[in-house]
Amino acid sequence: MCCSNNLTEKDLKPGIDVTFYQDRIKGMRFFDPHVHMTSRTTDDYQAMADAGVVGIIEPAFWLGQPRTGLSTFTDYYSSLVGWERFRASQFGIKHYCTIGLNSREANNEPLAEQVMEILPRFIYKEGVVGVGEIGFDDQTAAEEKYYRLQLELAKEAALPVQIHTPHRDKKRGTTRSMDIAVEHGLQPSMVIVDHNNEETVKEVLDRGFWAAFTIYPFTKMGNERMVAIVEEYGPERIMINSAADWGISDPLAVPKTAALMKERGLSDETIRLVTYQNAIAAFAQSGQINEEDFMAIGSIDQSSKFEGNTILRGGQQPRIDKNSIIIK
Amino acid sequence: MSNTSIDQIKILFDDILKHQLAQDTWHWLSASVKDSNATAETFTRIPRKTGKSLVKLSAPDEQSLRELNNATMHDWTVDRLARVWLLMNLEEKDKTKYIRQTETLFAGAEVSELVALYTALPYLSFPEHWMAQCAEGIRSNISDALQAIMCNNPYPAAWLDERAWNQMVLKAFFTDKPIHLIIGLDERANRELANALSYYAHERWAASRTVNPQLWRCVGKFIDEKLFPDIERIAASENSLEREAAALACNDSSYQPAKELLNQFPGSKQSITAGQLTWGTLAEKISTNKN
Repeated sequence: MCCSNNLTEKDLKPGIDVTFYQDRIKGMRFFDPHVHMTSRTTDDYQAMADAGVVGIIEPAFWLGQPRTGLSTFTDYYSSLVGWERFRASQFGIKHYCTIGLNSREANNEPLAEQVMEILPRFIYKEGVVGVGEIGFDDQTAAEEKYYRLQLELAKEAALPVQIHTPHRDKKRGTTRSMDIAVEHGLQPSMVIVDHNNEETVKEVLDRGFWAAFTIYPFTKMGNERMVAIVEEYGPERIMINSAADWGISDPLAVPKTAALMKERGLSDETIRLVTYQNAIAAFAQSGQINEEDFMAIGSIDQSSKFEGNTILRGGQQPRIDKNSIIIK
Repeated sequence: MSNTSIDQIKILFDDILKHQLAQDTWHWLSASVKDSNATAETFTRIPRKTGKSLVKLSAPDEQSLRELNNATMHDWTVDRLARVWLLMNLEEKDKTKYIRQTETLFAGAEVSELVALYTALPYLSFPEHWMAQCAEGIRSNISDALQAIMCNNPYPAAWLDERAWNQMVLKAFFTDKPIHLIIGLDERANRELANALSYYAHERWAASRTVNPQLWRCVGKFIDEKLFPDIERIAASENSLEREAAALACNDSSYQPAKELLNQFPGSKQSITAGQLTWGTLAEKISTNKN
């Protein structure tokens, strides 16, 4: 925690060791609509802010091992709208979240019942931009039951839905997720289908849903494949996220992919749509995103964003010199 | 706070809030407050209905507010005011239900809800019940929530025991809050706190870090042979704000060597007598330097 009375401009300046790819995306701003920051450090927040990330969405998910009681769910949801939101604000990043019961833990039915009861307490909170991430993992009956119940909840609250599509049997799981959403009367424009790949994207787009892609090493999309997809399908209703979490993942996946797109000759407008605007358009249907909250941040050159600008001052944390062996 | 003044505050808040809201929003809120089963939902929905612009206070309202509870609405947004208003007007006949309901709001609160809840502490029913919640809030590290408890809030000075009060003041220095906005700072100064703050200053000095000169505001009255060397140290500081703090602390003290030390600074002594140098003017200079 900071308790210095003497913050100077120098303390707040980004580091001078800007990596090569950041030159290509200088002045661009990014919105990562799927990243699990509770699992990340302040170094990640700092790096994201330096790379131009101005807003993020943290979907409620599985914490790596199953929870055994309701209180840990309550505390987790509270932390998404409380502590984590504050942590992000220290780095000038606007933090939103989606709230839901994830598919893995839907399989613990006695607990899932209790979680369903507390969800309405959280989905109307400020900055909650959707019900998510929900959907299928093993594609069991219990998963389907709580997926359906949460679709109803989203409809009732007029909130977008963020769908996690399964790792295994992905193509069929994705189709089934969309079928069920339509069956419950949800507009495809209110549904963001996440973790797409080359096999699923066409159907998702053809049916009018939003197609989100997770750039995640080894298991999900690589960003060269991503560039090819945008080249083929264009930028409409496509968005990119990092889904960075407790696994080997990269919270800079969105800005890095933007840099790669720039290098491969995609237009600035296309890059803006898939790394910023589309995600905002989709989730702003919640009425909970005010772009003005972070417009001012990204419109200023990253290397000078703190000069003569007080927008970020509230709670702004002083920068530490990572290359120094001296810790003051 | 007496029952009369809480009633007067309620009337004043009614009046202020009414002027900030569109008529149908005011009707929605005053109807919702009567449905005690929908409190949590109403509380959460408020910003969607009221928006989040800053409260505009007329000069007479501001005056009455200061007279009634020594607080201000500086920096309050309309949703914060509406939430505080809701909490002030909750049905309180069933004490158990009232407390359970309000505690549930604390337990699941997002950041601006936390701010509103802690802002409302002085206006909640059964004020003695909320001491533990207030102390719990002081343990938080969410700076806006902390500031809502520490600054412009009459509850801590009125209800916290000495231990919790001292923790709050110490944490206010630790987290770099605007100290001069703590209500009751001078009235609740105590020897235990003065000693703890002195230890804190020594730790900061040992680490070559600066010390907020306002710290000595809580020390002046308790200067003794143990604390006096601290004052001598800041009196010899290169920083003029620290020298001013030393003069003010000596002026608050009845310890003879402190009085003599002040005599060595006739300029400062004169400014203090003339009312040109006060803890208030020092606080102003500190906040100007920061910005």
